[in-house]
Amino acid sequence: MTASLDARSINMTFRNGDELTRVLVDVNVTLAPGELVALLGASGSGKSTLLSIVGLLLRPTAGIITIGGERADILSDAKSSRFRNTRLGFIFQFHNLLPDFTALENVGFPAAAAGDGMNAAIRRRAEMLLSRVGLSERINFPAARLSGGQKQRVAIARALMNHPQLVLADEPTGSLDRASADQVLALMREINREDGTTFLVCTHDERVASHCTRRITLRDGRIDSALDTQITPET
Amino acid sequence: MFAFLVARRYLGSNPWQTALLVAGVALGVTAFVFITALIQGLATRLTDDVTAKSAHVSLEPADRVARIFHNPRLHTEAVALVSTLQRRQIRAWTATVALLESQTSVTAISPQITGSAVLVRGEAAAPVAVTAIDPRQLDAISPVSREIVAGDTSLNANGILIGVRLAETMGLSVGQPVLFRTDRGIARLLVVEGIFKSGVQSVDERVAYLSLDTARPLFLLPAGVTNIEIKLKDTGQARSFAKFIGGATGLRATPWQDKNSGLADALTAQAQTGTLIQAFSLISVLIGIASALSLSANRRRSEIGIMRAFGISRNFIASVFLLQGLMIGIVGASLGCFAGYGLCSWLATFTKTDGTLALPIAPSEGGYALVFLLTTGGAIMASVIPARSAARLDALEAIQQ
Repeated sequence: MTASLDARSINMTFRNGDELTRVLVDVNVTLAPGELVALLGASGSGKSTLLSIVGLLLRPTAGIITIGGERADILSDAKSSRFRNTRLGFIFQFHNLLPDFTALENVGFPAAAAGDGMNAAIRRRAEMLLSRVGLSERINFPAARLSGGQKQRVAIARALMNHPQLVLADEPTGSLDRASADQVLALMREINREDGTTFLVCTHDERVASHCTRRITLRDGRIDSALDTQITPET
Repeated sequence: MFAFLVARRYLGSNPWQTALLVAGVALGVTAFVFITALIQGLATRLTDDVTAKSAHVSLEPADRVARIFHNPRLHTEAVALVSTLQRRQIRAWTATVALLESQTSVTAISPQITGSAVLVRGEAAAPVAVTAIDPRQLDAISPVSREIVAGDTSLNANGILIGVRLAETMGLSVGQPVLFRTDRGIARLLVVEGIFKSGVQSVDERVAYLSLDTARPLFLLPAGVTNIEIKLKDTGQARSFAKFIGGATGLRATPWQDKNSGLADALTAQAQTGTLIQAFSLISVLIGIASALSLSANRRRSEIGIMRAFGISRNFIASVFLLQGLMIGIVGASLGCFAGYGLCSWLATFTKTDGTLALPIAPSEGGYALVFLLTTGGAIMASVIPARSAARLDALEAIQQ
């Protein structure tokens, strides 16, 4: 079976003047389809950098990235954008919705802006996704007027809009209260289980990791293979 | 077009800022329209003032030059001198007049004898520029009869019309005789039949009118005329008509523009000044648009970052900002054109006591199409910089901020 993600020998070095900082050292990550993986690590361990590289927002110093069987690290800027649009979904810590648009428009935005605008098919799917995340009553609400938990649920729906092979979530509950965080985590787990969507969730929170099916730990830019474990998620 | 919806939503998200921006553009366009209408109105008034009282094309005999004949065998040259005593004249003027009458672009024709003379009364003497014309066509070129302040314009056999300042200098009034001596040395006693006041000092001081029949023996021109003055329907066609009629008759044809080169220079200088003011008002409009959109692009960095993360193309993001510039340009230019036309029309209602406009403004000549195109085109150009900076934004950097 083709892996959702296969990252091989990923190295990342940042230059600050004459000083070189190695953030990632020979990192190898493979995600099978339908996995819900927590990427754990202390602050500064390189997990956000790895997530950005896997999300094609940052080019690694060295390494190969294959997503859904297609080599992604060598794509041009335009092709990389197109790839992100059609194959990847993102959930950020601060939801980053477009405040001048409604919940529905935010969800449909990635498809509408890359195609012919907000057509009926996009509208229908956005409505379905909002219903799926429990926001069918807030479809035409301006994003700015939604609560933090509602915004993050809209962000999850947006990430799923273009049927991504891989959803990358960076501290998805970092800005939420406990109740909202639990709702968001349960939702991600449900989508993963029912739709088979692959998730890579970057977090430093054990409670978030406990909702995942596998955990990978980064320590000083290296994968701690001893801590790459399959787990039974909390329900 | 989805980018259009996004651009519209961005402009609508801060209505006061957008309204101020559009008002700034409209104000600049209003200033442009006002300056254009004023300069055009002023040019029209000055041109009308000149062309209303003078010929649009003047026909005179061609310049005569001495001819030189070479004889290379004898190494000699023979020169055919031009007589300075012989008066230059248009002998076949009736044929020329007939040709002019057949032209639909011609509205008035005035064959004239012009020359110099001296008016003598007692000890007083004054030089005058004489214009002898057919009394029935007295007003063909300049509305002399409307400027008469004493007497009439009948111009009988011994009659003469003089300007009001000349009459004062010579102590002349209507019905009084004055000795008239031409540059040909012929003198005759004429009677002042009318006194005119043109308002132009040099004309009121130096110009006198006679009838053609009275002038012929005095200037030794029994059959010819010295010049033919022409008025046209369209003063702007004077130069091309002069070229045509000069070629057709062999006479020297001079359009009014060449006789008033000072006016042409003044109009050119005025137009250049206007262009400068117009350019500055447009530049200020464009700087306003560029800075407002740059601020907007900066304020929306994280949103643009999210769009880039979701794979929205750089072209789409650039087009959102270009469309904002276009919309601001179209709305601002339209409002500015309406406001400019309203302002000019209002100013055109103010008149002086003599009935002329207090401000020589031409509301219909505001350059509306030009300013609309320049503003909308310029607004797009002005939004190129913020559009490029937004499109070049690094997604990760923008999201992390």
